[in-house]
Amino acid sequence: MSGFLFKKLHFKRMSKDIHKKAAGHFNSAVSLSKNLEENLKILREALGSSNDVIIREIKISPHSNVDAAVIYIDGLVDRNLLNHDILQPLMFNLQMIKDNASHNHTSLIDYIKSSVLNVGQITVVHDIDRVIAQVLTGHIAILAEGVSRALLIDAKGWETRRIEEPKNELSVRGSKESFTETLRTNTALLRRKIRDPHLTFQSLQIGERSKTDLSIVYIKGITPENLIEEINQRLQRIDTDTILDVSYIEQFIEDSPNSLFPTVGSSERPDVVVARILEGRAAILLDGSPMALVVPFLFIEGFQNPDDYYARPFFATLVRWIRLLGYLLSIYLPGIFVSLKTFHPELFPTQLLISVAAAREGLPLPVVLEALLMLLLFEILREAGLRMPRSLGQAVSIVGALVIGQAAVSAGLVGAPMVIVIATTAIASFLVIPYADSGTLYRFIMTVAGGLLGLFGIVLVSLEMLSHLASLRSLGVAYLSPVTPLNIRGLRDTFIRAPLWAMDSRPASLDSPDTKRQSSGQMPRPPKSSSQQGDTQ
Amino acid sequence: MKRKPGLVLILLIIIPVIISGCWDSIELNKLSIISGLGWDINAKTGKVTLTFQSIIPSEIKSAGGSSGDGGQKRGDPLHTIQLDSSTGSSAYDALNRYTQHSSRRTFYQHTQVYVFGRSAAEQGIYPFLDSIARNPINRPNVLMVVAEKKARDTLRVEDGMENIQAIGMAAQIKLSAEYSQYPVVTYLEFANRLISETTAPLAPMVGIIEQAGPEGDRVQKTRISATAVFKRDRMIGQLNEEESRGLLWAINKVKKGFIIIPGANLEIVSAKSKIIPELQDEKIKITITIDEESNLLEYDGHREISSNFLQELEKGQAREIESQVIAAVEKSRTLNADVFGFGEAVHRKYKKEWPVLKARWEEIYPYIEVVVKVKTHVNEIGEINKALIKD
Repeated sequence: MSGFLFKKLHFKRMSKDIHKKAAGHFNSAVSLSKNLEENLKILREALGSSNDVIIREIKISPHSNVDAAVIYIDGLVDRNLLNHDILQPLMFNLQMIKDNASHNHTSLIDYIKSSVLNVGQITVVHDIDRVIAQVLTGHIAILAEGVSRALLIDAKGWETRRIEEPKNELSVRGSKESFTETLRTNTALLRRKIRDPHLTFQSLQIGERSKTDLSIVYIKGITPENLIEEINQRLQRIDTDTILDVSYIEQFIEDSPNSLFPTVGSSERPDVVVARILEGRAAILLDGSPMALVVPFLFIEGFQNPDDYYARPFFATLVRWIRLLGYLLSIYLPGIFVSLKTFHPELFPTQLLISVAAAREGLPLPVVLEALLMLLLFEILREAGLRMPRSLGQAVSIVGALVIGQAAVSAGLVGAPMVIVIATTAIASFLVIPYADSGTLYRFIMTVAGGLLGLFGIVLVSLEMLSHLASLRSLGVAYLSPVTPLNIRGLRDTFIRAPLWAMDSRPASLDSPDTKRQSSGQMPRPPKSSSQQGDTQ
Repeated sequence: MKRKPGLVLILLIIIPVIISGCWDSIELNKLSIISGLGWDINAKTGKVTLTFQSIIPSEIKSAGGSSGDGGQKRGDPLHTIQLDSSTGSSAYDALNRYTQHSSRRTFYQHTQVYVFGRSAAEQGIYPFLDSIARNPINRPNVLMVVAEKKARDTLRVEDGMENIQAIGMAAQIKLSAEYSQYPVVTYLEFANRLISETTAPLAPMVGIIEQAGPEGDRVQKTRISATAVFKRDRMIGQLNEEESRGLLWAINKVKKGFIIIPGANLEIVSAKSKIIPELQDEKIKITITIDEESNLLEYDGHREISSNFLQELEKGQAREIESQVIAAVEKSRTLNADVFGFGEAVHRKYKKEWPVLKARWEEIYPYIEVVVKVKTHVNEIGEINKALIKD
C-alpha cells in the first residue's frame, strides 16, 4: 500500500519537477537510451567525479557477452547484499543457466528481474533522472547494453544509530525507546505499536537538493481526511533546497509563525506519537531526524506527559496541577515580585515585607534591574551548560552556583529573596518543556512590565497573552480547546486526568470521523462472588 | 516625507513606556515603613505631636542572625525601631515638618496601631480621623488604641517577644479580645460607630506597668487596662475589666475565655447574644439574651459531680454573666454613652419612630429598661468526676 502511494506520489512529483525546469541540474536527457556508453556518460556527468560513486562495468548473459553496469554509492548500500545477491547472480549464476532464455536484450533484463536477482524490492525505470535520484538514496542501479530501462534495487544499508533511550522526554514507567535518524526504523517503531492495516505512511521527498524522505503518518478512518489534505498542501508549498531537520518543516508549515507559542508539536517517543495519532492527529517523520512532528498541537498538550497515563489517575492529576503551577510561576514570579517591591509593598504580609525590606537594604541596583540581571545570568548559565563540552560542565555549575547563589548575595549586589525567586522560576520553567522557550520570553516581558507599570502592566501583558492564545489555531483547531471553546467531555484530560476507562471518546476538537475510542462502562469491579468469599474467610 | 506605519507603531509603543515610566514606583530601601503612629496634643499650647514608630530593616537583618556579624546582644531594647516625633499645628503640619528630619518617605500601608494620648483623646481626635479617612494610603484595619498617658511613651515600650513593638502591641490587643477581655477596635469599626451618631465609639486603653526583669532590672511592659468610651470623637470615660466583659457579652463579641465564679472556673466554649428592643407607649425596653456553653476547668470543693451540682454551676455562671452585663449597663448610663448600640437596634426595628427617638436619645438612654436573660450550659466536666479529696 505505502509502496504504491510512494511510487505514485513520487512519480507525480518528479514529472512536475521536470516540467518545471526542463534544463535542471542534470542533463536534459529524460529517457534512458539503448546505448550503455551513452547512459553511463550521462550518469558520470550527473553524479560527478566523487570517489564514492561506483560504476562497475560487468558482462552478463549466459554467454558473458552483454555489457552491463552496476551503479551505486559506496557507503549507502549494503555490501553483503551487493556482492552475494546482485553481483554473484549476475556474473556467475546467470552463466550456469543452460536454458538459453533469449538473446533479446530487453527480455534479458526482465529475466534478470524475475528469475536471477534474489532481492526484495526491484523496480524498472525508464528515465535517467529517476535513476540518479534513487542511486543517491541508496539504490543500486543495473543498466545493460541495448536496453532503455534500468533496474533499481533497494539496497539501503548504511551505518545507523541504534534505538536508544529517550534523552529529553523521560518517563518512569513507559517504554524506553526513542526515534532514531533512520526513517524506516521509525516507521517500524510505530508499526510495531499499531498493527492496524489502516495505519498509513504516506511518503514524500522534500528539499530540492537534499531530497529528504518524509512520511506523513495517520490512521485511515481516525485522522480526518481534510487534515491530511491540509498537511499535504502545506508540505507541497515548501520549496527549499535543504531540509536538515524536522524542525525545518515545523517552521514552514506552522499556522502562526509570529507567535511565541509553538503550534506544531514534536516528540521523540514512539508511544507519545502513537497515542496522539490515535486521538485523530497526524505525525510527520523525516529521515535523518529523531523527532516526529505531531499536528494539530493544542496548548494543553504541553502539560500532558506520557507518565500521566501510565500512572494511576490521582497522582497524575496532582502532577498536572503542579505543572500548571510551575508554568504560571515560571512566567509570573519575577514580574510579580518586582512589581510588589516597586509599586505595591502594601500587598506583602507585614512580616514578609519586613524581611524583604531587610534584604533590600544597601543594594545598589533598582529591583527591576536586579531581577533582569539575575534572569540574564541564569540564561547565560543555562546556555553555557547546554553548549559546553561535557567535560567542562562541572566547572560551569560550580562557578554558576557560587557566582549566582553565594557571592552575589554576600557581596551585597543582589538580595537573597531575589536569588530565591529567580532560582524557583528557573527550576519551574523546566516543568513544562514545550513552553520553556516562550516562557522565558514572557518572563522577561512580565518583569519589564512589572517594573514599569506594576501589577497593571502584568495584567496588561497577561490580557495580551490570553487573547493571543485564544486567537491561535493549529491546523484549524482552536489552540486553547477544549477549555475554550469549552467542551465538557474534553475536559477529562485537561485539569484532571480521568481514569483511562472513562475516556471513551477522542478529543472532539480534533474532529475525528471515528469519535468513539472504546465502549463505555468499563470501570473495573470485583466480581460479587469473590468478595463474599473474602467475607466468610 | 512619507511616514512609515511601522515606525509610527514602534514610537507609539516606546513613548508611553518612556514618558509614563516609573513615576509611581518606589524602592523599598527608600521607604520608612511606619509600624505605629502616635497622636498627642499638648494641652497648654494645643500643638499636635505625631510620633512615628518606623521599622529599621537593616537592624532586623542582623537580629535574625543571617549575616556574619549577627548575634548582636539585645541590650538596646529598641534597636529595631526608630521613634521620631514631629510637632505642628495640625496632623499634616506635623507630617510636613517630619520630612525635615527624616531621610526616607513614610509608608503607612503596614501601620499596625494608631495610639492616641489620653489628653488628645479627651480633647477630640476628629482632625486625625479625618486626615486618615481622606487618604487612600491608610488601611481601615489599623487598630485604635488609647494610651493611659502619652502616646509617645507607649510606643517606646519594648515588647518582649516581637522585635517590632507595634506588631507586639497589636497582637496583645487581639489576644485579649480573643479571650474576651477587651474589645479589639479597628479604625473602620471606630468610624462606623462614629457615623451612627447614637452609638459610642470604643477603644482599648493601654497602660505601662513595670515588672522585675530577668537580671533584676525593672522592665516596662504595656498592659491593656480598660476600654475607653467616646462620645462622638471625645473620650468621656472608661469601662473597667468587669464592665468590659459585660459589654462584650452584650454585643456578641465573646468567643472564648474564662468565667470565674466562687469555687469554680469555667471555660467558655461558645456564646451568642442578641439585643431585642421593644417599644411600648414611648418607652423602650431592651432584652439582652445570652446563650452560653462552657466546660468546667477547675472546682475547688469536694462534692461529687451530679446534675444538681451542674445546675448550680450553670446558675452561678448566669449570675456572674448577668452581673457583668448589668455593671456595663450601669456604667454606660452614668456616662450616658450608648456603647451597646441600642439605638441602632431600635433604628433597625422601628424605622418610623426612630427620627423622633434619635433627637431625644441622650435624654432617653439613661432610662431605658434593660432586661438580661442568660441561658448557660456546662458541657464537659473534665477527666475526673470525683474530687481528688473527699469530704
